[in-house]
Amino acid sequence: MAGRWIRFLLAIAFGAAAGVGYGWLRAPTPSAEQRAAQLRIDYQSDVVLMIAEAYAADQNLAAAVSRLAFLHHSQPAEIVQQAINFAERYGYSDSDLQKMRALLAAVESLTPLVGTGVP
Amino acid sequence: MNERRGSLYLLTGLLLGLAIGLVYSLFIQPVQYTDLSPDLLSAADKDQYRALIAVAYLANGDLVRARARLALLKDDDPYGTLAAQAQRWLAEGKAADEARALGLLAADLAQAQATLLAPTVATPTHASPSSPPAISPSPTGSFATSSPTETAASPAATLATPQPTTSPQKPFVLRKREAVCDPALGKGLIIVYVWDAQGNELPGVEIIVNWEGGEDRFFTGLKPELGLGYADFAMQAEVVYSLRLAGGGEPVFNLSAPPCTAANGEPFPGVWILEFMQ
Repeated sequence: MAGRWIRFLLAIAFGAAAGVGYGWLRAPTPSAEQRAAQLRIDYQSDVVLMIAEAYAADQNLAAAVSRLAFLHHSQPAEIVQQAINFAERYGYSDSDLQKMRALLAAVESLTPLVGTGVP
Repeated sequence: MNERRGSLYLLTGLLLGLAIGLVYSLFIQPVQYTDLSPDLLSAADKDQYRALIAVAYLANGDLVRARARLALLKDDDPYGTLAAQAQRWLAEGKAADEARALGLLAADLAQAQATLLAPTVATPTHASPSSPPAISPSPTGSFATSSPTETAASPAATLATPQPTTSPQKPFVLRKREAVCDPALGKGLIIVYVWDAQGNELPGVEIIVNWEGGEDRFFTGLKPELGLGYADFAMQAEVVYSLRLAGGGEPVFNLSAPPCTAANGEPFPGVWILEFMQ
């Protein structure tokens, strides 16, 4: 009788291992919760550049900060700085860098107010 | 019989374990992705990404860059997706600036496509000589994917001009105002056609419609299958509307659904056709 139970539990364990293997390795479906925060750094940098381009045109800092929240980073200035670091390393054009730096300066001026309030 | 029972409970155990494993790996502890590319974002975040592309385009007028960025989302029909999102956001009253930018980008993409397809623009004279090569080493140069560079090298890149098409220099004149009773055209619609001075259909023209206690905006070119200069608006019964183009020109007043009668005697709301020319 004990042997039957052991075999039963082993069958469950084997099935569970197969199910986990299938779910993690063979069919890892992207969840509906894939967020922009999980974007690779080059794509995140481009998002920051897009926001910087819009900010350069409209000078609307509230809109820029609200758009930066798309990246779900607790410190907007930090993600902009990371993007600038990436842009410098990979040779973005001067005009793009200038826009990103202008955005950083504007966001940093607000940082004490914004803080971790941005999700 | 006993042997059969034995193998059955082993099979039951196996299936039970498989179910537990699948539930755990797909729902309780699903694979966490990092270093995503934009095409793997959730639908809502893709919408936001598209909106950012559109506002950046509104700011820099760089259609090549916008197109390269849109390619990262790997939409089956980038133009149609943009147009649909613009219409959806306008209808929902969501982020008006972004919705407007989406509409403009969709319309400009449609116009660039039409320009590319038109035989008369195949000559280099149509490329704006004052426009520098629109694509810069960044950000597209840093992307791991090849699509942006491919886009930059395409003929579209050389023909695209960074000038938005929605800032008409001359005011629009109402050329035709006609009430039509034709169910094939639609029911209770205001149909607007906009042409430039050369008789080319103009996409991306913003139209403002007002009624007592309300206002809505829509754009030409969001239904390219009906024409780049085409736009329509659904009227409510017994509401009087006025309409004008955001770029200026003659406003049109007292628009309400024309009363019509079908062949079988049933009443139905007709259509207003308004034609504007620069």
